[in-house]
Amino acid sequence: MIKFILIVNKLGQTRLAQYYTTGLSINKRVALENEITRRCLSRKDKECSFLEFRDLKVIYRRYASLFFLVGVDEEENELGILEFIHCLVETLDKYFENVCELDLMFNIDKAYMILDEMALNGNIIETNKKNIIAPLHIIDQVSKKLK
Amino acid sequence: MSMQVRDLIKAVRGCKTQQKIREVITRESALIRNSFRKEDKINRPRNIYKLIYIHMLGFPSEFGQLECLKLIASPSYIGKRIGYLGLSILVKENQEVLFMSTNIIRNDLSSEDRYIVGLALAALGNIGSSEMLRDLAPEIEKLMESESSYLKKKATLVAIRTIRLVPESVDRFIGKVRTLIGEKNHGVVLTGLQLVLSIVKTEPETIVKFRKLVPGLVRMLKSLINSGYSSEYDFRGTADPFLQYNILRLLRYLGEGSKKSSKLMADILTQVGTSGGITKNVEIAILYEAVLTILSIESDSKLRVTAINTLSRFLSGRHNNSKYVALNTLLKAVNTEPKSLKRHRKVIVECLKDQDISIRRRALDLVFGIMDKQNVESLTQELLDCLPKAENEFRYDITAKICTAIEKFPPNDKWQIDTLIKVLTIGGQYIRDDVSSMMTSVIGRNPDLQYYTLKKLFNILLNDRYRNQTFLQVSSWVIGEYGDILMQKSEKDGELITTTQALDLFQILLESSRTTDGTKYYILTALIKFSTRIEGHDELIKKIIKPYREHVNVELQQRACEFFLLFDYSEIRDPILDRMPVFVEKEIELEIEEEISENNNKGINYNLQENTHTIQNQINNIQNIQNIPNVQNTQNTEMNELLMLNTDTKKTQTQNKQDSLNFLKEIFNGSSSSNTNNMNNMNNNVNNNMNNNGGQDLGLDLGLGLGLGLGLGMNNQSQRQNQNQNKMQMQKQQNQNQTINQNKNQNQNQRQVQNQSQNKSQNQNQNQNQNQSKVQNQPIIVYEKNGMKIEMNFKVGNIRGAPAVMSIIKTTNSSPLLISNYLLQVAVPKTLKAQLSQPSGQNIPPNGNGSINQQLQIIKMVNQKTQLAILLRINYVINGQKIVENKEVSNIPIIF
Repeated sequence: MIKFILIVNKLGQTRLAQYYTTGLSINKRVALENEITRRCLSRKDKECSFLEFRDLKVIYRRYASLFFLVGVDEEENELGILEFIHCLVETLDKYFENVCELDLMFNIDKAYMILDEMALNGNIIETNKKNIIAPLHIIDQVSKKLK
Repeated sequence: MSMQVRDLIKAVRGCKTQQKIREVITRESALIRNSFRKEDKINRPRNIYKLIYIHMLGFPSEFGQLECLKLIASPSYIGKRIGYLGLSILVKENQEVLFMSTNIIRNDLSSEDRYIVGLALAALGNIGSSEMLRDLAPEIEKLMESESSYLKKKATLVAIRTIRLVPESVDRFIGKVRTLIGEKNHGVVLTGLQLVLSIVKTEPETIVKFRKLVPGLVRMLKSLINSGYSSEYDFRGTADPFLQYNILRLLRYLGEGSKKSSKLMADILTQVGTSGGITKNVEIAILYEAVLTILSIESDSKLRVTAINTLSRFLSGRHNNSKYVALNTLLKAVNTEPKSLKRHRKVIVECLKDQDISIRRRALDLVFGIMDKQNVESLTQELLDCLPKAENEFRYDITAKICTAIEKFPPNDKWQIDTLIKVLTIGGQYIRDDVSSMMTSVIGRNPDLQYYTLKKLFNILLNDRYRNQTFLQVSSWVIGEYGDILMQKSEKDGELITTTQALDLFQILLESSRTTDGTKYYILTALIKFSTRIEGHDELIKKIIKPYREHVNVELQQRACEFFLLFDYSEIRDPILDRMPVFVEKEIELEIEEEISENNNKGINYNLQENTHTIQNQINNIQNIQNIPNVQNTQNTEMNELLMLNTDTKKTQTQNKQDSLNFLKEIFNGSSSSNTNNMNNMNNNVNNNMNNNGGQDLGLDLGLGLGLGLGLGMNNQSQRQNQNQNKMQMQKQQNQNQTINQNKNQNQNQRQVQNQSQNKSQNQNQNQNQNQSKVQNQPIIVYEKNGMKIEMNFKVGNIRGAPAVMSIIKTTNSSPLLISNYLLQVAVPKTLKAQLSQPSGQNIPPNGNGSINQQLQIIKMVNQKTQLAILLRINYVINGQKIVENKEVSNIPIIF
């Protein structure tokens, strides 16, 4: 099961955070994010993409200036999650057309929607890019009409 | 007027410091709050949007929670969308507000617009609380049968959450599984599989029912593998890997414990396990899941070997990620597949040299996991080889593993010693503390190897004297302890190792600035031991120790002073510095016991067994003493210890014999643990950490109690004269413990006193150390009966600032009969503390041809004048008759 999905930039600033567990106060959350990000950023390219942190495993992957971090429990297939991260990036790319940090910052609601289409409650629901983006396109059309 | 979302983000991005960001956010939060208060409906979505951003930055956003509810209740889709987003991010932790949203969500679940239903489901799936989910379960159930697969998969995921939070609702969803898995839409099937997994985990009894799904699942997996390219769910040539590995995972749960189901999936698993390539991450992910399944279910050995081989292929591949998962999986298989694992030793060892620390750590664990008596030598060598190249942090792990290997699988003692020396020389500074004690214990119980070890250590020291401190400490301890053996044997061998050479070496090390004070403690102790091991070097040793009496380091100073003084008390010097008893560890002891049943002739083993028996007898005897009337209740702490032991023994006696034996073993271990404590003390000293911890206290108590208890028991043993030799040995050991412990105690007390009077200058301390004024040299006869006479003389002085009385107790025998099993015990008022050294013997020959000497130290514990009074308990055997007498000595002309 996925416990959280984080997107941070290379300075360690959180750009998107989705938690599938409860019980984290703001301070704890910020501390957790800082700690995990610090550890991931300090790792070298040649090292594997997994990091054990407290009772969870963090799977991370770097795409240009963005780090995608996914915290999972013991049972999750680490390599599968790497694939999922890749799928997420490709989907974001497809929707935003060459996604960058600013796209996420200014369209955080869309990013969250894409994430919600792909994973809910810590489980993966959909990995087909077209299916994921379809509802977003509809919203875009509707809001264009409204304007 | 509050800003646009874009402007806020830009403003934050423009801030150079965290302080500036805080200012911007605080200002904006105030504006948003104002806008909420004014019920500004138009700007509500925008404000919540901003709050989501503010929340992500880690600033408070609670005031927007109720606004989220208002937004999801609004009719427009745009408003709902932001509202639900806010709900799942901002309101997540607030159960009360969440519960208030239940009815709004219920309405949205029955909305005509499937995207609105989708929003409500997504929110429920991410944040639904158990109350909400229990309330909405019927709606969720209905939506799982919806025609739209978009809603179906989301509803299924909400069902998974419901099962997790409300486990009793599981029955509601079991019936839905079959249709979900039979769907064509991959998303629905995927969520369906995950639903089964969560049902199976919540209600393991349902596994039997779900085993019917196995053939269908196998078919599905087969078609996925064989389908080749499918445009919809293609991941670099692999058809829907997520679906594939979820099927494999479900098969794992269904196959576990069922031979029939396992057989059904064997073919497809073989196909997955052998056909896939290992170049792409996707392929490896599926292969990895398949291997996990093969290893968990009831597969035949051939398939299991294939699985292990596949993992081994991962290890020799280039991807670090696959290496990591392979090592992790192999670690899980260590216990079930040891044989096939060992075949891949080479690849595993290779991973020790990987650049990635996580991989090296795993590899280290795995290397250790496959270690056994056959391969321990080569594997340990591999570990030693990678030690110099490793990072400091990792070195601790490696040395720890090597040490455990040395302890656990030694092929022989020589190897054990060689490897220990190697670890010490290469990675001494990265070693855990108990290695030194392991070294000493190995050397202690291998008399044959002592010379070999000593020579080796000595030569390393000679050639490279600036080795790491741990090495210096261990080697100086060993050379000090067994110096005589080194010198005697090297003379015979014609080796050119001389005592002066050793002493020179110690002197150089002491004077070197690269030697830490902690190591110097060991060297000083080694020097003083040398003085008793090899005769004729006292002056030189004195000369070396002398300057350290004025050393800046208090501990060094104390040791030097005490050691220096010891030269004047040759009668107690030898026993104090006597050879340490052989150090027996718990596990070793157990092993030895097994060996004894087969072979009773091995010297040390035999002794050990004998000793255990002896303790038992002796403790039984303590029981006897308990029955003797006229035992006075004494205030002496040592006596109290004895009484404690008595009560313990009583308890034991009421239990069956086996129990009592166990208890004795425990005591025996306790006494060896007091040895450990001594070692630890040394270590503590190294850290200048003088804390007297709880465990140590226990060790001391046991040491004292046992020492005395054994002594008492000796009286009844006369009929077993032939065993006396052993017992004496034992008692000697115990007494030595006692002495050491007492010294320790004393030191600690003194230290406390010293701490209190820290303002005293060091010179003053020095004077006090040596100052033993006012000698009262008239001996008092305290006891005279049956020809036995006990005389005591008293000397008033102080020990480290605490007023104290030193006394030498001399016992003579003028009768024509032998006095044997002599034992003296002392009790003093609570305000004083008495410490009695071990007697110089057990038996006193008749007609005044000999005597027993003992030293007594009485330290005043409170700051008031005290009349010295002593209670003696004298035990001895004369003419086959056992005598126990109490004698009060109150006519001592000393008030201090």
